[in-house]
Amino acid sequence: MTAAFDLNDPATFPSRRTEAWKYSDVRRYMRDAPPPSPPGRVEGGGPFYDLGGDGLVFVNGRAVGADAYVAFGDHTLRLRFVSDASRTGHTATARISARPGSTLLLLESHEGHGVAYAAHNRLSIDVPSGAAVHRIVLTDEPADSLSITQAEVTVGEGAVYHQTLIATGGRLQRLETQVHHAGHGADVRLDGLYRLTDSRHVDLTSVVTHAGPDGLTSQLAKGVVTDTARGVFQGRIVVERGADGTDARMGHHALILSDRGEVDAKPELIIYADDVQCAHGNTVGALDETALFYMQQRGLSAEEARALLTEAFLMEVVDRIDHEGAREEVRAWLTERS
Amino acid sequence: MVAVKETVDAVAELERYKYGFTSDIEQDFAPKGLNADIVRFISEKKGEPEWMLEWRLAAYERWLAMEEPTWASVRYEPVDYQDLYYYAAPKKKEGPKSLDEVDPELLAVYEKLGIPLKEQEVLAGVQGAPKVAVDAVFDSVSVVTTFKKELEKAGVIFMPISEALREHPELVRQYLGSVVPVSDNYFAALNSAVFSDGSFVYIPPGVRCPMELSTYFRINASQTGQFERTLIIADKGSYVSYLEGCTAPMRDENQLHAAVVEIVALEDAEVKYSTVQNWYPGDAEGKGGIYNFVTKRADCRGDRSKVSWTQVETGSAVTWKYPSCILKGEDSSGEFYSIAITNGHQQADTGTKMIHLGKNSKSRIIAKAVSAGKSDSTYRGLVSVHPKATGVRNFTQCDSLLIGKDCGSHTIPYIEAKNGSAQLEHEATTTRLSDDQLFYAQQRGLSEEEAVALLVNGFVRDVMQKLPMEFAVEAQKLVAISLEGSVG
Repeated sequence: MTAAFDLNDPATFPSRRTEAWKYSDVRRYMRDAPPPSPPGRVEGGGPFYDLGGDGLVFVNGRAVGADAYVAFGDHTLRLRFVSDASRTGHTATARISARPGSTLLLLESHEGHGVAYAAHNRLSIDVPSGAAVHRIVLTDEPADSLSITQAEVTVGEGAVYHQTLIATGGRLQRLETQVHHAGHGADVRLDGLYRLTDSRHVDLTSVVTHAGPDGLTSQLAKGVVTDTARGVFQGRIVVERGADGTDARMGHHALILSDRGEVDAKPELIIYADDVQCAHGNTVGALDETALFYMQQRGLSAEEARALLTEAFLMEVVDRIDHEGAREEVRAWLTERS
Repeated sequence: MVAVKETVDAVAELERYKYGFTSDIEQDFAPKGLNADIVRFISEKKGEPEWMLEWRLAAYERWLAMEEPTWASVRYEPVDYQDLYYYAAPKKKEGPKSLDEVDPELLAVYEKLGIPLKEQEVLAGVQGAPKVAVDAVFDSVSVVTTFKKELEKAGVIFMPISEALREHPELVRQYLGSVVPVSDNYFAALNSAVFSDGSFVYIPPGVRCPMELSTYFRINASQTGQFERTLIIADKGSYVSYLEGCTAPMRDENQLHAAVVEIVALEDAEVKYSTVQNWYPGDAEGKGGIYNFVTKRADCRGDRSKVSWTQVETGSAVTWKYPSCILKGEDSSGEFYSIAITNGHQQADTGTKMIHLGKNSKSRIIAKAVSAGKSDSTYRGLVSVHPKATGVRNFTQCDSLLIGKDCGSHTIPYIEAKNGSAQLEHEATTTRLSDDQLFYAQQRGLSEEEAVALLVNGFVRDVMQKLPMEFAVEAQKLVAISLEGSVG
């Protein structure tokens, strides 16, 4: 597949024969373009309502008001992608940018109601020199939804871009982030967390391209799958020729808590510069038996011990969220659903 | 420090590719190109049974229907399969049993091959020569097989596969293509159709092979693709260590090398397969050099069986291979130790696949890649755990070292876990040669190149230690030679 994914053009639907979509076979679930979604309704203020700030809302692909946002000071933006559709499809396109020197807290939520819809969200985020964007994404979509979010992020010299994805999956849910990293002190963090039950599927895919020297990328993804759920992590860090002094670290750690859960991981390093420090680590396994035993010795039930260990495992990602308010909101959101 | 001295000597001595020579022994050629008649010609030349010819023709049919794969991160001039010779045999007298009967030119080639070819002495029947059995493949036909007697005593069968087809057709028929099916991939299908020769090893139940078995491959005739086929069967409770080493003469045309190696390990059997690959990598401009597109796979069929791949890849213009293990047996284990060194315009896309199908199967992968000059090196590997394979354990470590601004190094691991009891770990690092260490070594009186050779040998040490003694010394020299001219 060379053309970009387009819900209206079945020829662009990738299958598992497409290397970048190897573990997320769209064609398996959708062969034809779905009928377009009708207009929908928004209810409530979304999971980040309490944190205030401005709102940018899309319902069934349609912008309620503006479809773009420019931050020029210290701002909070709640970006909501609401799907309220049944067996139809919609595409939303949003543009977010921050002026140099500004700081944006981007709180993104994917809220789904309805049945078996297909949602495609395209997002471009521009973080110029001296700006900082913190993006936090929560997904809460039905188990039979197909949802693909593709974010293109341009990070200028000396800029800061931190993102944390909290994914709960769908029939096929893919959160893709492409980062163009200019280096020169720019600091990128791409964290992610998935917790999946039943037969849900999530795919966290990222590509970071270091084009300039002295860039920093740090990535930590953690996931827990149960039942027959499937977690996918594909992370690629590219260091182009001349991007010396790059420091890139990637980690993906997953727990499979059932006999039939599945985790597929592909952490790639593509390096064309020699003065670099790059590393990735990847582990897949079950909960530590000795830790479980220890906790049961201290009077916890097996169930409690497992829950506690799982939470501790995942919360490492949440703890890395810089913004305190958002961090606690996410923690509460996750605890409520465990 | 002896090893260091040797490394230093080797660097000084080998300014250019030492094995770039061509010997003129008369060759018996099949006409250029590939069609069903050529396949029949090869089969007839080798006096193969009817079923073998059919097998080859079926493979050829499959090959015609396949497309050449392009997914590897290597670039090379497309191969014109109709512009190659598919059969070339040195003209030989009836079964050269003694050295007198062997073409003196051939002996001269052995001599030039130098390295730990102690086998030369073995060939010459020198007293006290080490017990390494050789099945030397000179272009396509095995010329001489030594130590047959001693091996026979142990019940070990070690012979050219063409001979095995005549003497042990039932064994060959049972196992050939059972690990790498004819239609497995483009190059395996091509090999199945036209393979000329290779080694056949059978170790009977409970036998520990009394010596290391070794094959020296050599591509000689101009524009001759070489398609070896190696089949190793380790029966229940047996053990064998197999060595494969390669050099090839200097050539302008790119030469294709598409071998297939199949290993079958039954219950409690252990196979250790070591490779040192030092084929011609092309000249300073990246012209010429060997295309090394090899399919190597081991099938750990029996419970508690074990296969260990060790490879030192320093040669070839393009290397594209993934020695793999299918871990079917319970408690079976697979190991992969690799050193890939690329310099100049070389490209390597190599790694392994560990397919865990059996309960409590284990695997271990240690891959070290060193890239210098304008070369590109990729580690590509798969660790996959089947839903029913409980208790699986894998550890993978990939380290890359970059020397110079124009090279590239890539790590592409695939991890697929389909049940909750597997424990998989993967770690990878990419760094450059440490300035501090280089400075330190130079302060102690080493030249820059010596320091690089020393540090790189330290970097690859974990894998080097897995090599049999016969190879370790040669491999250490190769590391230094391969990196020649990469600094300064």
